[in-house]
Amino acid sequence: MATDTRTTVSEGFGEVSRTVGTAFRYLLLAATLVGILAVGVLFVYVGNDAIQPLTADPGWHLTFFLTLVVPTLAVGGVLRARADGSFRVGLESLGLLAVMPLFAGGVATLFLSVLPALVTFSYAVALGLVVATVVALMRSRRVGFGAKLLVVGVATVVSLLFVPGIIQSLPFVPVEWLLVALTLGTPVAAIAGAYATSSWNDRRTGRIAGAAALGGVVAAGLLGSLIGFGGTAATILAAVAGVPVALYAATALDRHPARRDGLLLPLTVVGGMLLGAFLVRTVGFAGPAAWLDWAFLTGPNSITAEDAGIYPALVGSILLMLIVALLSFPVGIGAAVYLEEYAPDSRLAQLIEVNIANLAGVPSVVYGLLGLGLLARMLDEGLPILPAAIADPLGLEPVRVGANLFGIGTVFVGGMTLSLLILPIVIISSQEAIRSVPPSQRQASYGMGATRWQTIRNVVLPKAFPGILTGTILALGRAIGETAPLLVIGAPNQFGLPQELSSRVGAMPLQIYAWATTSGTPEFYAKVIPAGVVVLLVAMLAMNSVAIVLRNRFQS
Amino acid sequence: MTTEDTTTETVAEESSNDPTNDDMLIQTDVSESVSASGTESTRTIVESRNVNVWYDDDQALQDISMEIPENQVTAMIGPSGCGKSTFLRCINRMNDLIDAARVEGELYLGGKNVYDADVDPVALRRRVGMVFQKPNPFPKSIRENVLYGLKVQGIEVDEDEIVEQSLRRAALWDEVKDRLDESGLELSGGQQQRLCIARAIAPDPEVLLMDEPASALDPIATSQIEDLIDDLAEQYTVVIVTHNMQQAARISDKTAVFLTGGELVEFDDTQKIFENPESDRVEDYITGKFG
Repeated sequence: MATDTRTTVSEGFGEVSRTVGTAFRYLLLAATLVGILAVGVLFVYVGNDAIQPLTADPGWHLTFFLTLVVPTLAVGGVLRARADGSFRVGLESLGLLAVMPLFAGGVATLFLSVLPALVTFSYAVALGLVVATVVALMRSRRVGFGAKLLVVGVATVVSLLFVPGIIQSLPFVPVEWLLVALTLGTPVAAIAGAYATSSWNDRRTGRIAGAAALGGVVAAGLLGSLIGFGGTAATILAAVAGVPVALYAATALDRHPARRDGLLLPLTVVGGMLLGAFLVRTVGFAGPAAWLDWAFLTGPNSITAEDAGIYPALVGSILLMLIVALLSFPVGIGAAVYLEEYAPDSRLAQLIEVNIANLAGVPSVVYGLLGLGLLARMLDEGLPILPAAIADPLGLEPVRVGANLFGIGTVFVGGMTLSLLILPIVIISSQEAIRSVPPSQRQASYGMGATRWQTIRNVVLPKAFPGILTGTILALGRAIGETAPLLVIGAPNQFGLPQELSSRVGAMPLQIYAWATTSGTPEFYAKVIPAGVVVLLVAMLAMNSVAIVLRNRFQS
Repeated sequence: MTTEDTTTETVAEESSNDPTNDDMLIQTDVSESVSASGTESTRTIVESRNVNVWYDDDQALQDISMEIPENQVTAMIGPSGCGKSTFLRCINRMNDLIDAARVEGELYLGGKNVYDADVDPVALRRRVGMVFQKPNPFPKSIRENVLYGLKVQGIEVDEDEIVEQSLRRAALWDEVKDRLDESGLELSGGQQQRLCIARAIAPDPEVLLMDEPASALDPIATSQIEDLIDDLAEQYTVVIVTHNMQQAARISDKTAVFLTGGELVEFDDTQKIFENPESDRVEDYITGKFG
């Protein structure tokens, strides 16, 4: 009997123990879950405090469940079951619809609170003239590079010096929303036109799309000012959110007509929200007593929890991010391209690379000190051309230039400090993106007789660009949450709306810190701070979503 | 010329006008696909004199001297690591891109030493087309791929005409004429390699270098590329590196055999190399005893 069973095939191979492997696997799973669960619990906790959904009527929840959740799940389920790509179209358009209004809100705060419409318009026209000069010169091949550079330089100086003044002194200027529509709508229309040209491969379609975008933006402004929504707000909403969503929907419809049903998903969500809101108002169900409401978003700060708003900090953060992006992207990407494409493989280059990697790990408070010592002091007192230490023994007056250029504790100094902070991250991620361009592509380009510059411009950068952009946006996400450098450079705890680059402003993390330390009443802890945290996280996630979309789109 | 021209037709056509008619017929009898070589008096276009190449301290080529005739197909064969690709890359100075590489000796293209101090390697590469082992079209449209060389060289031409002409010469036109705006990466491997050939010949180079152009392709795509090389030899000087000895025998007029250590062992008419080589080592290699 025993000998029989030993010879059967089923027992002939024996068994290989997988106990250790299984244990290892579940340990790894646990390690993964610890972090995710902790953050998840925090989000739920903070979100609950900020929104307080349990204070709403059960009827309110039921209404929205029936009008919003059930139809959305049903439509989503059907689309997903069809497995023809329409579900993806639905998700993407829903994501666009959720994120783009946030960006529109950010742009709107700048136009409504910081930038005077006429000044912005005049500078936009001046810049537009420069861009037009560049485009016109690029077409002609007869003019040499030096001459082109000279013309562009002269055009830039002349245009920026004289055009804004001329426009600002014009006797008649259009109403504000029209100015904003022209300032914002023209570049948006140009981008929309270029996008349409490339995706339909037809210049005429591109021109029509561009004209439609500009027309749509102006029409939205007119409509908004007529119905009392606010012409400027409507203009910005149309330019930043409306045009991309419309363009996406048009592309999706035209490219894959079979997937057009995917657009039902965002329609269901929007329709459900509107219907739910209408029903709740008619029946009279009370919504949640959310702390995070319109008044909190758009209100000034206050020492009482009831009146505290985050608007000045929000605007400060947006301004800071703008400056950080403008400063760190060109410098960081430029350094990465140099290190990867030009720098010889020498000891010096290796030393620089190691140091950049180290700088990425330097604590942010150190950068704050750098910002205080170097940027804030120097920009306040001026650059020491002839420092006192040398001038005094010689019996001369110390010489400083550019004193009080931007003031201290400011948008500009803060932006510069944060730019320095994320510069190493931008450089490293850009280097990685450039390194991932296959060598065979470079060889092909060089083999065709392309110069190094032509190879970088035509082959390396286009291929590396999505990766570069992803890395830099993620770095920007780190900058938006930094508190320590701003504290060190002396950003105030109490601040109003920034008016110019030298205003003393704070940012959202700083505001949250101020609430937690100086106004630390239980009321603040339980309601105001969670609401502020949610706003900060939403702003950061909105920025990161751009990076995620870019990565998904270009990785395939 | 049209893509319907086959090798044999070309042979027949040229043979009839050829003074060495009988030789040609014998040659085609012996090995049918050996393309019509010109007369013996063809001009030399590439000439190397004592070319040595080092990668750091390793010598990759030893004293290579050879004369590559114009408008013929010259094949370079030899085992892996024998320096045949290195030699190919000397001709258009692609080795300059490798920091560790050092080239000594003289290499003349059309009578000018390309390693002279006053030669701009970028300008040189504009006169020498190159096709690589793995198809490497740019992630751009087919049209942009073909026009890339003209674009970087700043040559203004009738773009549509050049695109059609180059793709026809590369025997790809009929397959892609309706989708010139699609990405070059959407083509199959063999089509991609023909696109790379079209890209290389669009600026009308004097010499076309091919570094194992068919080694990453399936047999059908390979035979298409081979037919194409045969046709190209009418207008261009083709220098091709290959691992495949049958391929060298089929398509080339002259064959250079490199053996381990970067040594050029024998360089002669293809027919002679494969039928009656001078060197025993070459015979061993060709018959498979070594290599």
